[in-house]
Amino acid sequence: MSYLATTDFANDGAFLDGVARRLRGDLDLSWLDEPRERVRCRPQNERRGLTLRDLDVGRYGWSAMPELIRQNRSFAPRGAEQPDGLPDLQADVNRKSEVWAYNLDGYYEEAMTRQWNATTDIPWGELLATDLPEDIGKAYAQLLTFLSEVEMIATDVPAKWLGRLNADFFEVKNFIASQAMDEARHAEIFRKRALSTGFGLMRASSHNEHNLKFLRDADSFAEASLALHLQAEGMVLTLFRFSEYVSPTEGDKKLFRLVMQDEARHVGYGMQHLKWVVDHFPERRETVHRHLDEAENFVFGAGYATEVMEPFIILAGKGTKKANIDEGIRIQKMFQTKQGDEYFERLAKCGLPERRERSRLWKMLELAKEAG
Amino acid sequence: MSISFPSLAFFEALRDEMRVARERFSRLGFFDTTFAVRVLDAEGAPLFEGTLGFEVFDCVAVREGLHGTEPDFVLEGPVGAWREMLDAIHRLGAADVAHSINTLTHFGEALQVRYDDPDGHDKLYRFAESIQEYFDLSAGLDFVYPDGSAPPPRVENVRRSGT
Repeated sequence: MSYLATTDFANDGAFLDGVARRLRGDLDLSWLDEPRERVRCRPQNERRGLTLRDLDVGRYGWSAMPELIRQNRSFAPRGAEQPDGLPDLQADVNRKSEVWAYNLDGYYEEAMTRQWNATTDIPWGELLATDLPEDIGKAYAQLLTFLSEVEMIATDVPAKWLGRLNADFFEVKNFIASQAMDEARHAEIFRKRALSTGFGLMRASSHNEHNLKFLRDADSFAEASLALHLQAEGMVLTLFRFSEYVSPTEGDKKLFRLVMQDEARHVGYGMQHLKWVVDHFPERRETVHRHLDEAENFVFGAGYATEVMEPFIILAGKGTKKANIDEGIRIQKMFQTKQGDEYFERLAKCGLPERRERSRLWKMLELAKEAG
Repeated sequence: MSISFPSLAFFEALRDEMRVARERFSRLGFFDTTFAVRVLDAEGAPLFEGTLGFEVFDCVAVREGLHGTEPDFVLEGPVGAWREMLDAIHRLGAADVAHSINTLTHFGEALQVRYDDPDGHDKLYRFAESIQEYFDLSAGLDFVYPDGSAPPPRVENVRRSGT
């Protein structure tokens, strides 16, 4: 209990007198006279309902929000009157360009309507009726172990930043709250699937966990978003698509389609956020590159780790015989090429086309392509 | 009378099926994208090209051609690949493990995804389940292929999964 009230209310005469007066009917009512902007927001599209975009009006909206939030240091909802005496919460992030994204409200509304349930939306009965061969089952359980590890930190990162953003960034806070819920559901479903395969959880990954620690310990929200939303989730999105591709059952395919929807939405936010940063805060470009330099180093180590790469090969080749392994390696190389291409495509679209030239990861991928 | 695949009528019929299944699509959530389908003949020339617009929970536009629109992505492939997918859906009631849209397009082995904007491309994945269920609605359509043949009849109680 480090934060103490500056008043002992139960022993404060003035405060207790005020309570007693109000209980006798002698109301103050000064709050009724606060000068305020009266609005009655309505849905612009009845089929969509009342969206956040419909609330983007006057002082309540985000369009008129300044780049630097100097006036609100408290929990006061954006647009509310702020009386004297509100606490200074010392938010870590008070600059709009550090958090904002084009179409931010759209991603939030999409997130809200596209929620699903790991317990009831997956045909568990069908999945449990299918016995996986030993080699495929163990490889799948190892993939699910890796994904459980990844999704747990993907839950922690947005949750860590949620309370550190200025309260005026309401839409961002709500979006990353929805992301934390998405990622928690992903951790849940991968754990449930691992424990329903008959093989259980396999080996945690040291390389992967160092990468995850790097994501968690970013110095700023912008760096965390860059590494999490755009780089890590972008690569995981390609991985989910690959996992759907190699999934042994229709139920597993549905599972991966549902998680890929959420992941693609997070990647969308990450892209639109980076575009916003590059458009509105161009002096951060070099910082972005420096962070990506290290992020790519970590992700290379994690993606090519033994316990991550080998299950992909076995799943892609559908077994452990020599012919299966050869086929698995062929498909694994195609996957890695695709994963890299999509990542650098997204960065170029965000305004960083020079990333390819600067990136050691790009150079390694190019060498791998040349080597066949 | 059977409709033809590929044709504008086929995709209009899918739109109508989606209206009937509105409750199901509402549960899947907002579905906001415009994409195109391109069916190629044996020589690689377009047999059919159409634009499909989705908004909120509905299919709001079905047009032949691209008509100056910039779709988020284009699903393109030879009529044989489309036929294989539609046959599987018609026979089983929904795509099996080998014929989901993601599986068919992932490495471009059967169908290709064409796009200019990676953000538009990612909508194929943001709305993956809605798009899959949209194509799965073709299980309920009475249609024929360009050679006049029909997809196989529905097989009851068959498992679509397996290794």
